[in-house]
Amino acid sequence: MRFLLALALLLAASAAEAAAPQPFERGSFAALKERHAGKPFILHFWGLSCGPCLSELPRWAQFARDYPSLGLALVAADPVPEDPARIEAKLAKAGLGEVESYAFADEFVERLRYEADPKWRGELPYTLLIAGDGTTTMISGIADPARLRAWVASHIVTP
Amino acid sequence: MKRFLFFIFTVFLVFQRPAAAADSPQAHHAMAKDPLPCGEPVLACASVAAPYFTKDGTLYLAFAAGGKVLVALSSDYGRHLTPPVAVTPEPARIDAGADSRPSIVVDARDRIILAWSVLKDRSYNAEAFFSRSTDGGSSFSPPRPLTGDPASQRFPTLVLDRSGAVFAVWTDKRLAAAHGDAALAYAWSEDAGASFGPTRIVQSNVCECCRLAAALAGPGRPAVTWRNIFGGTTRDHALMTFPDPAADPATPGPIRRVAEDEWRIDACPHHGPDLSVAADGSYHVAWFTEGSARQGLQYAHSSDGGQSFSAPRSIGNPERQAGRPSLLAAAGRIWLAWKEFDGKESTALVMVSGDGGTTWSEPRTVGHTAEASDRPLLAAGGGHVFLSWLTRAEGYRLLPVEDKP
Repeated sequence: MRFLLALALLLAASAAEAAAPQPFERGSFAALKERHAGKPFILHFWGLSCGPCLSELPRWAQFARDYPSLGLALVAADPVPEDPARIEAKLAKAGLGEVESYAFADEFVERLRYEADPKWRGELPYTLLIAGDGTTTMISGIADPARLRAWVASHIVTP
Repeated sequence: MKRFLFFIFTVFLVFQRPAAAADSPQAHHAMAKDPLPCGEPVLACASVAAPYFTKDGTLYLAFAAGGKVLVALSSDYGRHLTPPVAVTPEPARIDAGADSRPSIVVDARDRIILAWSVLKDRSYNAEAFFSRSTDGGSSFSPPRPLTGDPASQRFPTLVLDRSGAVFAVWTDKRLAAAHGDAALAYAWSEDAGASFGPTRIVQSNVCECCRLAAALAGPGRPAVTWRNIFGGTTRDHALMTFPDPAADPATPGPIRRVAEDEWRIDACPHHGPDLSVAADGSYHVAWFTEGSARQGLQYAHSSDGGQSFSAPRSIGNPERQAGRPSLLAAAGRIWLAWKEFDGKESTALVMVSGDGGTTWSEPRTVGHTAEASDRPLLAAGGGHVFLSWLTRAEGYRLLPVEDKP
């Protein structure tokens, strides 16, 4: 439902164009978590500076198609904040142009990462699986699709 | 024995791009949009800074700001800096971050040689350039590519040999299509940075998104350490020393594994090592790992030319994200600096060893900041040891570590 609403807004905002990533700043993680509270939510950190991330993006596009009602957001977390236009273009090319998307917009990247997960040391990709009750599982490195599916299966009440 | 099975050494000779193609190497790079809040080519807007001291205590500071590589000098240990001079004429996407910065050396005749890379696409493929100044930093030669291959080159690192020759090493993806991973590439300049000779490749499996580190192990014998990919998945550290150049100038030495951390991960750690070689020939390496064998910031030393290393020693407070090491061997002592972050404040810490890295002083906080900061770097000049640290809130600082090295 939320996805459809977001999609409708996107389509209204720009005729079928991919949306530019929104700025991910201090406090953004808490706001995102709050907004998605009560439902399973996956936050995937990636970056243009990360070869494994780029090779994994098509898998995330497939995942988004497979679970259209699941809360999923992508955050470009490059060590040096990247130009949103480059991020937008890369996501659109990977088939992720319509997924909720953010980009680090603060050069104090240690702080942005710490707010998301104090244990996260900056490696990319990095994925947080946040259950409806806030219980968080982290995946460091490329995510095993079977593990993602198992997590979704065990946390989705109504698909 | 096992480690040798992971590598095939192949050496390729690749000749430099013809001069005509190198005329305006950056002309084709689009104007960069700087994502930082401050985009002027001045030190206050810099994201990274690299210090180099000459024997007389003059500081040569290379930094990246406003899409340019710049150099400023200080003759009073950083209190005053000359107005910066741009090395790169046109703004470009300079590869500059916690793990990536311009590399600078200054030879005995005060010729300044720099190398850096420029990002050229949306996938962090880059091109490495060099330039030099023969007039003490008043002007710089037009940037030229370090090598003549279109494949990505990152993290160019310079080492000045005692002969005055300049060694350049970088990560290079020209064989990645066939081989899967990046390799080390290197070239020598025998004319004080006016030109670099043919590029040679050390076939290894280099993690393409981590800085490498290099130091001179002996005359004509640089040593290089980097995050390697062992067995296709394990991102642990490797070290290689070039053998006696008189015997075999073109062949790299064997690749040694610094420690079996067993960090099996398909990811970019964005966190490279540091290396320093002491006057007695001992090697000192610091690195970051999240391996199954150990986690966090590590240090080890080698007294047999990098053939074997001491048991890794855990450095700093892992609960405060200890990382980003810097090492300095000077006057019989070893300094190790690093950065910690507690969620609000970053601190730069230093400890020192007087016995070749076996025992260490208690860590001492040298500086702290509550906003974004560069990696703190150790540098020795004029008989003093400093921590060179660029922080957004405080600006550039050369923090004294101890009065006497």
